[in-house]
Amino acid sequence: MQTQTTALTKETTALTKLKGEEYGGELIQLVSFNLEKEEYGINVLMVREIIRMLNITRVPNTPQYVEGVINLRGKVIPIISLRKKFDLMEAEHDKRTRIMVMEVVGELMGFIVDEVSEVIRISEKEIQPPPPVVSSGIEQECMAGVINQAERLLVLLDLEKMFTADEKRFFSSMA
Amino acid sequence: MPIDCEDQELLEGFLAETTELLEKLDDDLVTLEKSPDDADLMNRIFRSIHTVKGASSFLGFDFLVKVTHKTEDVLNRLRKLELALTPEIMDVVLEAVDLVKTLVGDIKAGDIVERDLDTTVSKLLPYLSEGATEATVLAPGAATAAAQPAAESPPASTAASTPAADAQAAAPEQQAAAPKPEANKLPKPATPPPQIKEPPKPAPARGGDDLADNSTVRVDVKRLDDLMNQVGELVLERNRMIQLHSDYQSGLDPNGFADDFGKLSKRLNFVTSELQMQVLKMRMLPVEKVFKKFPRIVRNLARDLGKEVDLHIIGEETELDRSVVDEIGDPLIHLIRNALDHGLETPDERLSSGKSRNGTVVLSAAHEGNQIVISIKDDGRGIDPDRISRKAIDKGLVTEDQIAAMGASEVLDLIFLPGFSTKEQATDLSGRGVGMDVVRTNIRKLNGIIEIKNELGRGSEFILKLPLTLAIIQSLLVEVEREVYSIPLSSVIETMRVSQREFHIVGGQEVLKLRDSVLPLLRLGRVFNCALSDVQTDTCYVVIVGVGEKRLGLVVTRLLGQQEVAIKSLGKFLANLPGIGGSTIMGDGRVALIVDPMGLVS
Repeated sequence: MQTQTTALTKETTALTKLKGEEYGGELIQLVSFNLEKEEYGINVLMVREIIRMLNITRVPNTPQYVEGVINLRGKVIPIISLRKKFDLMEAEHDKRTRIMVMEVVGELMGFIVDEVSEVIRISEKEIQPPPPVVSSGIEQECMAGVINQAERLLVLLDLEKMFTADEKRFFSSMA
Repeated sequence: MPIDCEDQELLEGFLAETTELLEKLDDDLVTLEKSPDDADLMNRIFRSIHTVKGASSFLGFDFLVKVTHKTEDVLNRLRKLELALTPEIMDVVLEAVDLVKTLVGDIKAGDIVERDLDTTVSKLLPYLSEGATEATVLAPGAATAAAQPAAESPPASTAASTPAADAQAAAPEQQAAAPKPEANKLPKPATPPPQIKEPPKPAPARGGDDLADNSTVRVDVKRLDDLMNQVGELVLERNRMIQLHSDYQSGLDPNGFADDFGKLSKRLNFVTSELQMQVLKMRMLPVEKVFKKFPRIVRNLARDLGKEVDLHIIGEETELDRSVVDEIGDPLIHLIRNALDHGLETPDERLSSGKSRNGTVVLSAAHEGNQIVISIKDDGRGIDPDRISRKAIDKGLVTEDQIAAMGASEVLDLIFLPGFSTKEQATDLSGRGVGMDVVRTNIRKLNGIIEIKNELGRGSEFILKLPLTLAIIQSLLVEVEREVYSIPLSSVIETMRVSQREFHIVGGQEVLKLRDSVLPLLRLGRVFNCALSDVQTDTCYVVIVGVGEKRLGLVVTRLLGQQEVAIKSLGKFLANLPGIGGSTIMGDGRVALIVDPMGLVS
């Protein structure tokens, strides 16, 4: 699975590179979303779909950031609260709350975010390495970089790295 | 050597057809041995091998032609009654069929390995010479000598001469080439007849597994037509729905809409449940798929063990889900081996205990409600409980006190313990003490149970009860503090409404007095950390579930009813949660989790 995903990512980078050539830089499309006033970005090719909040069924004995599971057109997928994962204050779900369904390490998963705003194009050159200290409690490994544009600051996430090795072990081999 | 075949489709067709023929052939050959006078059967066997030969020569698989041709010649002589069928001939023919299977397996794998064909072919040759009538036991030297005239003077079948000569010519150079490991397992060519009795063990096992192809399905055309009809109806209903919606939007008669919509949903319900049944049926396979391997296995085993066995197969047309069919093969083989090895006595022992010379093994399958019941029954010596308990104590699996406290069926269940074996020494058949443990684990994986019926001196019976499908189960829906959970009905023994005041606490464990036993209780709400609802009532429900011999009472708030649910996996990330076996989607689109009682017990 892992290799498959890496192959996929390679392919997508190749694709964006091709597109980007006419602009003179490598272009990436990002979906931007908000969490507690901060703006985050995620490669558009990672995102399968964006849906409104649904009824979530709680699953017992899971880490607290696992909100539960939903029925996505007949497929049961786990839902993770990004707020809880990033140790942010919990907030009421409102009509702007969305679930971003993504394929992470070969599995479909949903991530609850406060709001999804737009798809933006940025040049790869604009991505800066993440600052050494992060204030919001977000795990360092999860950040692929920051994008500093004139009037906005985006945190680029790499969800593949969101789960620590321990957590992956918990998921796959808990007995 | 890669396969050079321009028409892939043709090749696939050939493989599918040949595989099927070969599977049937095994079965037919074993039957033939029992009733050698059956001319129809004989002809069918002859035709099968002839078809394989024809198809292989058409596609240019010369090595296949070589083996099948010789086999065909021997069969032809048998057919014309020039040869009498003996177990020795049958061994050779079966060996040849195995070789063909291995070769076809190679073709399927897409890589033709050079194999030692001549060993097998040379064993067939003695039976082709005019002189060889019955099981003329030929000395090693004589075998080759007899083979020579067979190659030169045309035997019964006139067409035989050229390939036979080819075989002889090809022999030296092929033998010069280092034989592959596979070839080593076959008896050496120098001494064919004395070794014939040894059945080719590695070949059938390998060949059989390779040829078991489950990646494509053959579906009855009628079923497909039915399915098409159902889909047609579904399309009609969809059109009706679109029509209804557009009518409604254009403001036509809202009262009539509710009425029409009600009817529509009823029809839709009907069509989809029919469709569900149809698709489910397509996934069904007759158990014959698994059973047809057994006559051959039983024959070889019986010859190895020096026992005489009649195998009766009943209900091979019983259908069950593909996923189950794929999984039950190995446990069944194991149980059959046990029946032959441990269960049945040798002919002499049987006669002296007043039984008929031939042992009987009955393999049967039948539907029973929502389950399929497969039973393996032998009329052998049965299982001796004293011996079982002694062995279990010797091996340190249980203590004497534990044995003393056990009932008869619990003692029999000891054979399922890992490490248990009654054999002093491990043979290649049994005795390693892993078998029955694996059987039970496999059966449990399929949500099935295994029971033993035993009568000392008269035989024993192993009964497997398996669900028809793994995808849909009957379940009991329960509410636990406003959350809905589903408990597989197969493990529910009974449910009861009780007052919480009747609960007792024994050693920190909540228990309930249930008739004459004490039932340990488990509050699902607590195990699953459910948020307590505001209203706490005194009465609650206890769902009594059974896991093996253990009983456990699950305390739930309310019973919601029984429902057939489709099992959905929770995915890799949430797999292996203790006490949760999966999930299902309810009528309102919500997800309900399926409780795994076995996980709760451990």
